[in-house]
Amino acid sequence: MLLIHCPHCREHREEEEFSYGGEAHIVRPLEPEALSDEEWGDYLFFRTNSRGIHHEMWYHAVGCRRYFNATRNTVTYEILETYKTGTQPTITGASA
Amino acid sequence: MSNSIVQESVLYYFHGAFNKSAVPGSLFSDQTDCGLVIKEAPFSAHLNLRGDAADSEFCLAVAKVLNLTLPLVAGTYSRNGNTSIYWLGPSEWLIVEIGGDAAVIEATMRKALQGHISIVDVSGGQTSINMRGSAAATLLKKSSVYDFEAWDSAEPTAGRVVQTTFAKASAVVSNRPDGSYDLVIRRSFADYVAQWLLDAGAEFGCRVEQG
Amino acid sequence: MSRNRLESHTGATLDFTFNGKAYQGIVGDTLASALLANGVDVVGRSFKYARPRGIFGHGAEEPNAIIQLGAGAATIPNLKATQVELYQGLEASSVNGWPSVDFDVMGIIGAFGRLMPPGFYYKTFMYPKKLWMTYEHFIRKAAGLGATPVEADPDSYDKLNQHCDVLVVGAGPAGLVAAREAARTGARVIIADEQSEFGGSLLASKQTIDGRIATDWIASLVAELAAYKNVQLLPRSTVFGYYDHNFLTILERRTDHLALSAPSGTRQRIHRVRAAQVVLATGAFERPLVFAHNDIPGVMLASSVSTYVNRYGVAPGNKLVVFTTNDNAYQTALDWHQTGRQVVAVVDSRTNPSGEIVDAVKALGIEVLVGHGLIEARGKKRVKAALVAPINESGTQVVGAVRYLDSDLIACSGGWSPAIHLSSHTGAKPVWDPNIVGFRPGASKQQERSAGACRGTFDLAGCLAEGASAGAEAAKLSGRGDGGLQFPGFSVEEYSEQPQQALFLVPHTQSTSRAPSQFVDFQLDVSASGIELAVREGFESVEHVKRYTALGFGTDQGKLGNINGMAILANALDQSIAETGTTIFRPSYTPTTFGAIAGRDVNHLFDPERYTAMHRWHQQQGAEFEDVGQWKRPWYFPQSGESLQKAVNREGLAVRNSVGILDASTLGKIDIQGPDAAEFITRMYTNSYLKLAPGKCRYGVMLKEDGMIFDDGVCACLADNHYLMFTTTGGAAGVLAWLELWQQTEWPELQVYFTSVTDHWTTATVTGPNARKVIAKVCNDIELSNEAFGFMDWRDGTVAGVKARIFRISFTGELSYEVNVPAHYGRHIWEALIAAGEEFNITPYGTETMHVLRAEKGFIIVGQDTDGSMTPADMNMDWVVGKNKAFSFIGKRSLQRSDTVRENRKQLVGLKTLKGSDVLPEGAQVVFDAKQKIPMSMQGHVTSSYYSASLGHSIALAVVKGGHSRLGQVVYCPLADGRSIAAEIVSSVFYDPKGERQHV
Repeated sequence: MLLIHCPHCREHREEEEFSYGGEAHIVRPLEPEALSDEEWGDYLFFRTNSRGIHHEMWYHAVGCRRYFNATRNTVTYEILETYKTGTQPTITGASA
Repeated sequence: MSNSIVQESVLYYFHGAFNKSAVPGSLFSDQTDCGLVIKEAPFSAHLNLRGDAADSEFCLAVAKVLNLTLPLVAGTYSRNGNTSIYWLGPSEWLIVEIGGDAAVIEATMRKALQGHISIVDVSGGQTSINMRGSAAATLLKKSSVYDFEAWDSAEPTAGRVVQTTFAKASAVVSNRPDGSYDLVIRRSFADYVAQWLLDAGAEFGCRVEQG
Repeated sequence: MSRNRLESHTGATLDFTFNGKAYQGIVGDTLASALLANGVDVVGRSFKYARPRGIFGHGAEEPNAIIQLGAGAATIPNLKATQVELYQGLEASSVNGWPSVDFDVMGIIGAFGRLMPPGFYYKTFMYPKKLWMTYEHFIRKAAGLGATPVEADPDSYDKLNQHCDVLVVGAGPAGLVAAREAARTGARVIIADEQSEFGGSLLASKQTIDGRIATDWIASLVAELAAYKNVQLLPRSTVFGYYDHNFLTILERRTDHLALSAPSGTRQRIHRVRAAQVVLATGAFERPLVFAHNDIPGVMLASSVSTYVNRYGVAPGNKLVVFTTNDNAYQTALDWHQTGRQVVAVVDSRTNPSGEIVDAVKALGIEVLVGHGLIEARGKKRVKAALVAPINESGTQVVGAVRYLDSDLIACSGGWSPAIHLSSHTGAKPVWDPNIVGFRPGASKQQERSAGACRGTFDLAGCLAEGASAGAEAAKLSGRGDGGLQFPGFSVEEYSEQPQQALFLVPHTQSTSRAPSQFVDFQLDVSASGIELAVREGFESVEHVKRYTALGFGTDQGKLGNINGMAILANALDQSIAETGTTIFRPSYTPTTFGAIAGRDVNHLFDPERYTAMHRWHQQQGAEFEDVGQWKRPWYFPQSGESLQKAVNREGLAVRNSVGILDASTLGKIDIQGPDAAEFITRMYTNSYLKLAPGKCRYGVMLKEDGMIFDDGVCACLADNHYLMFTTTGGAAGVLAWLELWQQTEWPELQVYFTSVTDHWTTATVTGPNARKVIAKVCNDIELSNEAFGFMDWRDGTVAGVKARIFRISFTGELSYEVNVPAHYGRHIWEALIAAGEEFNITPYGTETMHVLRAEKGFIIVGQDTDGSMTPADMNMDWVVGKNKAFSFIGKRSLQRSDTVRENRKQLVGLKTLKGSDVLPEGAQVVFDAKQKIPMSMQGHVTSSYYSASLGHSIALAVVKGGHSRLGQVVYCPLADGRSIAAEIVSSVFYDPKGERQHV
């Protein structure tokens, strides 16, 4: 059971209020039809599956109903930061 | 065509639960030594408001129509008489007027508000119940993962609100200056929540007051 | 007075029974202390060899006294007698020992113990496979694993969500002072201890702290803590799990000390605690010594003997031999001497013990045998003698003559093992420390610190100092106080300790493999020779040896045997203990009842039942209900004695021939507002909404980005920039989250807001050729003609006096009006429609008829006819995909992937059985060649299947490979009963193929 800081509610809240949204910062291609099957398949199916620092989306489903991002260590489950959608993480695999 | 139009409270089943559970018949009695007293405020106006909190014109217009400031701080609400505005999210609020008419409020607000906003009548889908008594805080601990005790150390005059889990349903929970709590719950879960409250409150003595 | 009760110890009498025999204990007893007071030696039988076993410890480490408490509905199996508080009328029995602990059939096996090496069960009962059930039945019965209650639990349990600044686990000396230092900072403190009283080891101590007797000192400290409003004291509360982000679970036994079943209130409660900081002060377990026949009743831990004497006033024997590797156990000799019973000797493995306490024992005239080992116990159901002999300095060999000591009680101590379990739960890797001959907690992985004995600090002054610092530090890190101490020092009287000896296996005159069994894990009969044999058989990893020998698998979870076992393994592998490592402790620390885990989420509160506003009406009409997600929906409305099929035939024909009414309130409904609403909706659906005018509706299908259908429904334009989207009943929450996801994370520039209105609106669907006539009777402000209010239109109006919104959309293929009103008026409107329809015999119908009617029309149900791998083309629904949409809607690109354009994909078709009365089972596999040998080539499966009363034959929908080009082909559905039903592939639209009836 994780304890997650919601950047909108500005407090730590229990995991059961949230649902997981998958890897963050995956941008939808602007012209999907211009992509090959392989390129489109990369966007659809392939994720970094990092060991360690991982940026991921969470949805505060039973709360403020906002999506936001978290930087989480997938080994220790430590959440290093949470930040609003549309902003960039301060902690990355390169910086850690 | 029927002549009388009958409304049914969301908590109709609260009263129905009476027959179903093992709660003693004192449920609706006036005995006062109950740890938990529950009272519904039925048929009130509930509206969901969306808009840009950074838009001061929007905030001012809402304040003018409702004679009440729009709470911009996360987890707070403002109240004036029977009307309250609860913060639900950075661009989302719940307006509740006890005994109010949602259609009137919606029409007035649509007139007053400009630009990209949303106002939705949700009165039929939810209700507000007040929960008071010495066991109210413990009951919240039984029912929700949220840390309500943390409100006690916050500024005492600040009205606090949170949308969180409540048993296996959800609720918008807020505090009142008299130490009691208000719950806004969804209609389709009302029977479940009512039975949960009666069951969780049984050990403290539990009474339902007619709204 | 029971024979082992000390005269100095008195109290009110409590009657209890054990294995059917009546005994008496006194208030304050545990079941174990009461049994010892009554001289009960044998309390159980071991798991494999069924050897008689007696009480060995005094707490959570107890391996032998495993009991079944009570009988009937409230019984609990596998409790430790050392942790069961005695109450008047308590009934308990051994979980093992069949037919009784004193006469045990399995005991015969004990004589053949050598024939049951580790892995015996694996090796012996492997073949033939089909006999395993027979073996298992016998093994379980003989081994004794307790009995689970078969009746409903009469008690109530619950859970409390707690939040605190500092959680202190353990209320021994370290924990108590930690709690006090934290409490005075104003921090929210919870302190939990598994025992009935706070004090931990001090409850059995005669030491003084700051000039006061330990028990008095505790009492005043506990009173001080209780006075703080910000402190919660939880006795009888075991912290059994430590999870991510400082989430801990506590089992509080609220009434188990009063009676089997709770006299009132909650029997057990789980506290789910989110703590900012944690102080672990869980103490340590004394380690037994591994010598031959160390499992005979009468062998106990030294600290347990002291605890029974000092705390419970019970002397569990007469002639004591103490066997130790350290100074600590000398205290037991002193305590025993006080009772007036005989201390035969203290056997010390060290060659030259010189501590103060050694001298104190010698001064009493007690014989101290230094450089000796107690190499074997003798006796059958009780110790009769101890065999002692000189051993070499490293403790590996017997080097002198064996001497018999007449004795009935052996107190042994191999040192202390810190209780590092909770620290291990966090993933911290225990660190071997040769100085304490034990594992210390590893580097913290959470916001926690250990203090006192669980950290390897065994002197009282050290425990108190560490506890105080830990409490202040934890409070400070939680944002309270400055970390300073109120009570920095304690004055404690205690003997200074001399070094202990690391002795994990006591040598015998014979080799380990030939000596009588030297038990490491009592409950599961794991012996030193068994571990050595495992190594000879090639096992090297501690985790493998554990599983092969079952070391640490009993209900005590290795609390006693683990360290000795690892050390013996390390020695056999010729490597250090640090290299060998330890197994990982996982939750739960001690067994937890299912009742507590379930809490109050049982019976009618197991899962929410969601009701519509008309639910009570449905109940009154005798509807049978179907679960649709959490919703209870009417399934069908049987008239007196009607079967499902008969009711569905009647309901369906009523809709086709006159009019029916359906409660459709459970459909998800989302209000959508904003200048970019149309653009946004158009990106989400396969078709376009850009030109949908107010007053109009459109059916749409939503895909996931992989091109697969995930929801469908109608979307109406309410006004400019204002829409109402219907979703499937089960998809409501998922669709809302899906819309929010794309708006918030991908297209925040699109101005659009979404609000769920599912609960606000109640929907009554009136459908059938007479639907218009019914509506006309209750609504006179809407022009209802087909020209004025056509198919896929909606209108605002007044129905039975209530403002309503009516949609002309149809899931039956008939003329339909879906009447929506705010839910407070739901029942009113429903009853008004029923009354208005009476002259047309309006028939309420349920979900089963709804399914038949839509299947007759070939309308799909997402999640029944689709399974997350179906595209619109697969469903023969290309018509719903907008070909000329400017924006590449969600899923569009995937419709062109090589796999989605493949020709032999499973495609939706109708199936018409050659014999019309045959109804295919849903889920039946479709094959092309009925005569093919098994395994047959499966070509598809039936997704929906019903008997259609309107058509007079069965109908089915199926997905079949390449099905759209196979119309007319006969396929087969082989069934489990050997039959094979032949069916023809037909169009999926069985009824009114031109769709004229809904347009009238």
